[in-house]
Amino acid sequence: MRLVPRIIGQSLGIVALSALFAFAVNAVRPDGLPLAQAAKTSSGAAPSAVPPAQASGEIALKDAALLFLSGRAVFLDARSQYEFELGHIQGALSLPTRNFASDFQDLKPLLSGKDAVIAYCDGESCPLSQALAKHLRDAGITNVYVLKNGWSLWQAEKLPVAQGQAAPASKAAPAPKPAPAAKVAPASKVAAQVAAKAALAPAKPPAPQMSKAPQMSKDDAKAKGPAKGQEKLCTDCDN
Amino acid sequence: MPLPPRAADFVLRFALALVLFYASADKLLHPQDFAAIVKGYHVLPGSLVNPVAVWLPWLELLLGLCLVSGYWCEGAATLTAGLFAVFWLLLIVSWARGIDVTCGCFSTKPAEPGAETTPMLFYIGRDAVLLGLALFTAWVRLRVAGEPEA
Repeated sequence: MRLVPRIIGQSLGIVALSALFAFAVNAVRPDGLPLAQAAKTSSGAAPSAVPPAQASGEIALKDAALLFLSGRAVFLDARSQYEFELGHIQGALSLPTRNFASDFQDLKPLLSGKDAVIAYCDGESCPLSQALAKHLRDAGITNVYVLKNGWSLWQAEKLPVAQGQAAPASKAAPAPKPAPAAKVAPASKVAAQVAAKAALAPAKPPAPQMSKAPQMSKDDAKAKGPAKGQEKLCTDCDN
Repeated sequence: MPLPPRAADFVLRFALALVLFYASADKLLHPQDFAAIVKGYHVLPGSLVNPVAVWLPWLELLLGLCLVSGYWCEGAATLTAGLFAVFWLLLIVSWARGIDVTCGCFSTKPAEPGAETTPMLFYIGRDAVLLGLALFTAWVRLRVAGEPEA
């Protein structure tokens, strides 16, 4: 047998045999690598920096801000409509817990296609967002997070907010006016980063229930400090 | 007194097989870590990373077995030289691209945090020595194989 054909034949045999052993053993070993899953990530996209939901279903403010910035989250305000009108996270939808049954169906289409549905209310011990999250999960929404003490934290970091007349989803007119991007006065590191990126971020579609979204001034924000927000919330939490 | 070609062939094949066994062991035990190292080279599409990480250690193991046992020896010696050449080129390309990869040649353990990392030139130099060994082994083996049977 001549050398070159022999070398080629043997090499092909070794390659084939090693591949056979490798994939057979990989298939049966418990820590085998998922071959098909690797193909799924072949787009080259890095995994999201936002960690998966914690057992409690809560999300950290910086993660929520990141999702907000990239337009991958929809925020649901669990407080009353009155509180929502006074101020809310820019682009958030009003879904008071007590109106869930009547309003959810109208809002449901807006929740699809997002990486996260983030419920928030105000105050460390506010139960509304948790209650809303539970309703949402019961309704089959899986990617639900709770931003604990969301409204206070959001304001404290001077993240984009909006205020104004709003209607609950069941009464909302379809996008009366595009909401101008809220200007923010960065006063903290997180806020500065988010604001800088927000200026570069493409305009997001306006929330349907917002008729206007002026900037909440620094003084307003101070006046509506966390303590006040929580105070107001207590009337709402009882419901 | 120089070694007779057949003895040199056996010693070289045995040495090369030891290198291959040692190289494959840690990769076989820790496929996840090795897949991360393969991915770090940024030369394969994502869909090929895991299959290659699964297959490569087995190829090294089988090459070692062939070299020791004498079965399919010419193919194994040549393939090993080719494999080492590919590894060596990959390291050079990574170094030129400024990618500081973990070699993954013999260990899948990541560097200790804060520990001084091994410079890429060390890996390139070491692989050059191994490539030299593999080429010499293949050359000796092919010479022996080409000789008429005594």
